[in-house]
Amino acid sequence: MSEPFEPKIVAFVCTYCTYAGADLAGTSRLKYAPNVRIVRLPCTGRISPMFILKALQKGADGVLVSGCHPGDCHFTHGNYHARRRWMVFRALLDFTGISPERVIFSWISAAEGSKFADLINSVTEDIRKLGPFDQYQQLIKETESPATL
Amino acid sequence: MITQEKYRTTVKELLANGSIKMAIGYRPGSTSDRRRPLFIRTSEEADQLVLDSTCITNLSGYLVTEGLLSDEKRVGIFLRPEGIRSINILAAEYQLNVDQIIIFGFDFTGREVRALQGQTTGDFSALLSEIRENPPLATKEPLLERIEKMNAKERFDFWQQEFSRCIKCYACRQACPMCYCRRCIVDSNQPQWVNTSSHTLGNFEWNVVRAFHLSGRCVQCGNCDRACPVNIPLRLINQRMAKEVVDGFDHFAGLSPTQEPVLASFKKDDTETFIL
Repeated sequence: MSEPFEPKIVAFVCTYCTYAGADLAGTSRLKYAPNVRIVRLPCTGRISPMFILKALQKGADGVLVSGCHPGDCHFTHGNYHARRRWMVFRALLDFTGISPERVIFSWISAAEGSKFADLINSVTEDIRKLGPFDQYQQLIKETESPATL
Repeated sequence: MITQEKYRTTVKELLANGSIKMAIGYRPGSTSDRRRPLFIRTSEEADQLVLDSTCITNLSGYLVTEGLLSDEKRVGIFLRPEGIRSINILAAEYQLNVDQIIIFGFDFTGREVRALQGQTTGDFSALLSEIRENPPLATKEPLLERIEKMNAKERFDFWQQEFSRCIKCYACRQACPMCYCRRCIVDSNQPQWVNTSSHTLGNFEWNVVRAFHLSGRCVQCGNCDRACPVNIPLRLINQRMAKEVVDGFDHFAGLSPTQEPVLASFKKDDTETFIL
């Protein structure tokens, strides 16, 4: 008996925009896929690429990173720095064989509750189609210290 | 040989008149094709100096040794063009003051060693821009092209195989002039970002993070490649990242000591095609 695959997605969001957007999605009673685990951070500039790797290391099938639109950052330019970092990091993941479809970046403002709900739904569907990250999870299993999310 | 003799005399002169307190160069190593770093403080030590086509190590990392430059005296160092770029990056990241560095530039084609004209990083800016325009042929790697053609799964398998050999000796980190952090991310255990066992999972993360921290800073001196005891092609990843940074942000690392580090600066109109 195998259960149908439910992707585990970790979302790293900034507290001023995307987290507020997620909150709006909640208070507006929008229904979206329950596969996402949200981690709230002060700013997208605080999101170290280590976080993304750690999420994958602990068995996530996909990672979503989201913050304020350019120009809207609470700290004026945290997201500009983050944008450069992501671009390089994304290329690095691609080169080392972690499919870029598993690590998704987006801008969602505090007013875009419905965009948040739609994005979570579409990302969950995409990752469901990709299937579990078997290659990586095989490695995790070998270490004999699999952690559940 | 002529270049070597010339530089021996120059180093002796500069030591004698007190312009430099030390010169960092090369001396014979355990085999005829190996060289060790030489720290010249006296004119007798200057006689041990060797300069030939086997002097490939980038010595610039020794400059950030704790306390070496804190007395504000000057230090001379033997560098190839990559080394000069490293010095520029270290200066741009406020790790050293370029005024304290006297550069003994050299380069070689085949076995022929020639001196590079100049003493300070500014003297070499024309040379560095030329390298930017015409990168040396050695940077075209067939293996890199092969990896580019693979799909995600094949790439993952390729790197998994390579990284499975890693023994986490961190020789790549020790050899790299850019890895000067007092506390490296892998030494941190609260939280433990990277597994400490030499299992492929942790190896993968360590090598990815290492490459990320070097993107936009690596000058492809190849110190990591040569230091790796299990011959992981570390330089390939760095090379790929350097290309990414040139294509994406038009940033060629180490052109001048005042060049802003690429990941510590931004433009409002940076490309963001991948962001939803």
